[in-house]
Amino acid sequence: MKIRTAKYIVKEGILNVYKNKLMSLASIGIIIASLLLFGIFLLIVLNLDHNTRALESIPQLEVFCNYNLDETLVADVEKAIREDDRIAEYHMVTKKEAFEKLKEKFKGNEDILEGYDESFLPVSFIIKLKDPRDSSEIKEKFENMDKVESVEWPQKSIELITKASSWIKIISGILIAILLIISVFIISNTIKLTVFARRKEISIMKYIGATDWFIRWPFIVEGVIIGIIGAVVALILSSYAYRAVEVKLGNDIVSVSMGFFEMLKFKDVVLVLVLFYSFLGGVVGAIGSVVSLRKHLRV
Amino acid sequence: MVEFRNVTKKYSNGTVALKNVSFKIEKGEFVFIIGPSGSGKSTLMKLIMKEEVPTEGDVFVNGYEVSAMDMYDVPYLRRSLGIVFQDFRLLPNKTVYENVAFAMQITEALPRDIRRQVPMALALVGLSKKANVYPAQLSGGEQQRVALARALVNNPSLLIADEPTGNLDPETSMEIMRLLCEINHRGTTVIVATHEKSIVDMLKKRVIALDKGVLARDQQKGIYTNEDKNSQIYS
Repeated sequence: MKIRTAKYIVKEGILNVYKNKLMSLASIGIIIASLLLFGIFLLIVLNLDHNTRALESIPQLEVFCNYNLDETLVADVEKAIREDDRIAEYHMVTKKEAFEKLKEKFKGNEDILEGYDESFLPVSFIIKLKDPRDSSEIKEKFENMDKVESVEWPQKSIELITKASSWIKIISGILIAILLIISVFIISNTIKLTVFARRKEISIMKYIGATDWFIRWPFIVEGVIIGIIGAVVALILSSYAYRAVEVKLGNDIVSVSMGFFEMLKFKDVVLVLVLFYSFLGGVVGAIGSVVSLRKHLRV
Repeated sequence: MVEFRNVTKKYSNGTVALKNVSFKIEKGEFVFIIGPSGSGKSTLMKLIMKEEVPTEGDVFVNGYEVSAMDMYDVPYLRRSLGIVFQDFRLLPNKTVYENVAFAMQITEALPRDIRRQVPMALALVGLSKKANVYPAQLSGGEQQRVALARALVNNPSLLIADEPTGNLDPETSMEIMRLLCEINHRGTTVIVATHEKSIVDMLKKRVIALDKGVLARDQQKGIYTNEDKNSQIYS
């Protein structure tokens, strides 16, 4: 293709967006709507994904030894933990450390602990698992050791949350796929209307010897421009909406104190959004043009 | 230049538009294709520009074997032809100048050549003063002249016109025919499909007459009505 032809094609594509203002606006509106819907699900999935990873990184289990174990017996428990290859790492909480923690907890009311020392507290091990799905098995294994008093989950609900989040991810994935198909359909249908309105023009071009690609390219440029405009508007809207949710959730005492729900910063998701939006807007617009033109090029 | 060899065209609905038609048109000729509506004139024109393909037989145009041509090459065949239609087929959102220039743009011609050729083509059809006007603001005759300029701007060796005067009054029709003759004098082969008796009779050019898809007559310096008293086809 020669440069002057490329110039003609780009100019024609831009002019067509402008000349068919109403149609372009309609297409842009539909693209914005589909992209926003798509964006909502994408952001939910991204945040869930991020938080599942955060969940996995917090201590999964705490193994409490019998409080009257002496050091050699504690070392036996430690050895069992060290030799279990499903455990990524562990940290021993000594009686002293446990007592410090307790004192911190009762800060301001230290007199409650008066007369006590660390000897009544058990030694514990905070262990981090390689795979959170092993947690119940490991819990059972250590509970059956007679030197171990109990094994606790730092968050009782952790199992439930992991399960729920994986379901939400699957459902969002399906919804995104459906939305994607619907968007492609709507966008290509809108372009079909534009093409139909100009079918006479297309046939004239064919009669005077224009190649199919010479006719197609301006439509593709038009589709891409409409898609990109839609993507930009959708991006601006999503950025405002996301920030608003972020502020609301950030101030929410429950989610903060629970400590396991952390929203991604907007700057962390913006690149993914830009990529998805421009890809969907632009490429779908272009493909829509080509598909809708096919019938009218057979002259 | 143009050759039909035993061409038969049957449409999918069963209509037989052309039956075993053969003829040859040499370079520089001026030929009328005549016949009443439904005689196959338009089908013949469509076969030349490969809008349709023959059911049987071969069509040769400008050195292309049109009947065996790949769809991909069709644009290049059409660029070697100038085509004029009854309904002008101008792009409504382009000016007269742009409409003519467009035919050159699609061939990726140099802007320099476009700036030189377009005014020449417009001068030839006498529309230099209306270069920046849109088609809707022109009369039918003027619009057809723009279409002629567009057909000529790439210097085609063959010009085909399907009922070019069908939408025009007699006076304007004569004007268009005069232009077509002038174009022919400059060396371009011209094929005109028409059913207008007065024009054919006046110009006395080669006449190929079709009747119900059959080649009824091929006559040099012919007129519309067959002079052969034995045939009553056009009486």
